[in-house]
Amino acid sequence: MRFTLNIWRQNGPTESGRFVSYEADDVSQGMSFLEMLDGVNQKLLVAGEEPVAFEYDCREGICGSCSLVIDGIPHGPDQGITTCQLYMRRFPDGANITIEPWRAKAFPIVKDLVVDRSALDRVMQAGGYVSVNTGGAVDGNALLIGKDQAETAMDAASCIGCGACVAACKNASAMLFVAAKVSHLALLPQGKPERTGRVTAMIEAMDREGFGSCGNQYECEAVCPKRISVRFIATLNREYRRAGIVESALPNASESPHAESV
Amino acid sequence: MTRLLRHFQSSVGSKVLLALSGLGLVGYVIFHMLGNLQVFEGSRALNSYAAFLRDMPIVLWTARIGLLGIAVIHVALAIHLSLQNRRARPRAYAIHRYRYASIASRTMAASGLVVLLFIVFHLLHLTAGIVGPSPPDRIDADGYRDVYGLLIHAFQNPVIVLIYVAGQVGLAFHLHHAVSSSLQTLGFEHAALNGLLKAAGPSVALLVVLGNVAIILAVFLRIVR
Repeated sequence: MRFTLNIWRQNGPTESGRFVSYEADDVSQGMSFLEMLDGVNQKLLVAGEEPVAFEYDCREGICGSCSLVIDGIPHGPDQGITTCQLYMRRFPDGANITIEPWRAKAFPIVKDLVVDRSALDRVMQAGGYVSVNTGGAVDGNALLIGKDQAETAMDAASCIGCGACVAACKNASAMLFVAAKVSHLALLPQGKPERTGRVTAMIEAMDREGFGSCGNQYECEAVCPKRISVRFIATLNREYRRAGIVESALPNASESPHAESV
Repeated sequence: MTRLLRHFQSSVGSKVLLALSGLGLVGYVIFHMLGNLQVFEGSRALNSYAAFLRDMPIVLWTARIGLLGIAVIHVALAIHLSLQNRRARPRAYAIHRYRYASIASRTMAASGLVVLLFIVFHLLHLTAGIVGPSPPDRIDADGYRDVYGLLIHAFQNPVIVLIYVAGQVGLAFHLHHAVSSSLQTLGFEHAALNGLLKAAGPSVALLVVLGNVAIILAVFLRIVR
C-alpha cells in the first residue's frame, strides 16, 4: 500500500509550524499507524533529514502516550482504540492522510506531533492523596464494595490520560479526564475522606491550566480509547455541587501543586 | 460569601449558573406559549388574559425585572465562557471532524444570538409597539385593551410572519441542545432516565415552537381572524 501523508512539522514550542507532504510506500496492511510512521522516519534518516517527532511508549493501547489527530479525529477513524492500535488496512490504498498534534492551549507543542501533556499531571497532583492506613494488612473483606459500584469505579479508572478528550473537544475541555479521575475515587470508600476537597481542587487546577469548559457535545466519549462514558461528567458536576454545599475538609486545597513538586 | 463566589467562578460553577438561568428562561417561554394559545379561544379569552396579567402591576414588573436579570446573567455568562473556550484552542485544526455533536450543539452561539435579536424585536414590536406597522390600539367590547386585534394585525403581514418564524427556528435549534445539556450540567444522570433526559431538549424545542408557530400561521392563513 502507499499513502500521501500531510504531517504537521514544527521545530520547537516557539517556532511556527507548517504541513509537509511525505510519501509512504511499501506499507503492509498489517502495519500499525506508528509502524508506518517509523518507516517514513527511516527513509528521512537515510536521506539525512530530521525525522518526524511523535510520542509512543507501550504500543499496545495502555500507556496513553500516542497522540495523533488523524484526518481530523484523535486516535483516527476507529472507536475505542489508541493510534498504536490502528492498522493501515483501515485506510484505502493511495489515501491522503493528514496528521496533526493535539491542539490546545494547555498542551503546548514540544516538536512536530509531540505535545506537553503535563497539565493533566498537574490536575491529578492538585487532587492530592488518598488516605491509606499503615500497619498490618487489612483483611480482604473488611471493606465491602458492591460489584456494580466496583465495576463503575473501574470504568472510570480505565482512563489512560492520553488527552484525546481534550483534543476532540470544540472547547479543548478536559472535563472527561477530570470526571474520570474524580469519579473513580468518589465511588470507592478509599476515596471518601478527601472527596470534597479533591473535586474543588481538581476543577480549579483544570481552569488554571487553560482548558475550556464542557459544551456537552460528547465528542470526548466518541474518541476516548477506553470508551469512558460522559455519565462521569454528570457525576463530576454533582460532586462539585456537593462540595460547594459541604464545607471543605481541606483548607487551601487548590494551592498550586508546583510548590511541592519543585 | 467568598466561598460561594469562588464556587461559581469556576468553569463548572459558571456552567451551572448558565444552565439554571437557561432553564428559568425555558420555563417562561413555555408559560408564554401556553398563555398565547388562548388566541384560539377567541378575542375575549385572550384580551381578558392580557388584562389579568396587567392587573397585577407588582407581579408583572417583578417578573419582568426578574426575567431581564436572568437573561442578562445568561447572556453575560455565555459570552464569558465562549471567550474562555476560544482562548483554550488558539490554533484551530486544519481538519476537524465531528462524530456525535448535533448541528444544534455546534451552533449554540449563533442560535442564541438569533433568539436574542428576536426577543429585542419582539419586545419593541408587540410589547412596546415602537417598531413595525402601527397597529390599531383599540379597546374591545368588554373594555379591555384589544391584544387580539394587535396579534391579528401583526401576523397578517408576511414580513412580520417571516421574522417571527425565523426567531422560532433559532429558538428550536437553541433549545434542542440546551435543555438536555443543562440537565447534564446540573448532574442529572441515571441509567433508567438517560433516554428521557436526552429526549428532553428536542421535545421541549418541538413543543414550544409548534405552539408558537401554530399561532402565527393560524393568523396568517386566516384560520383565526
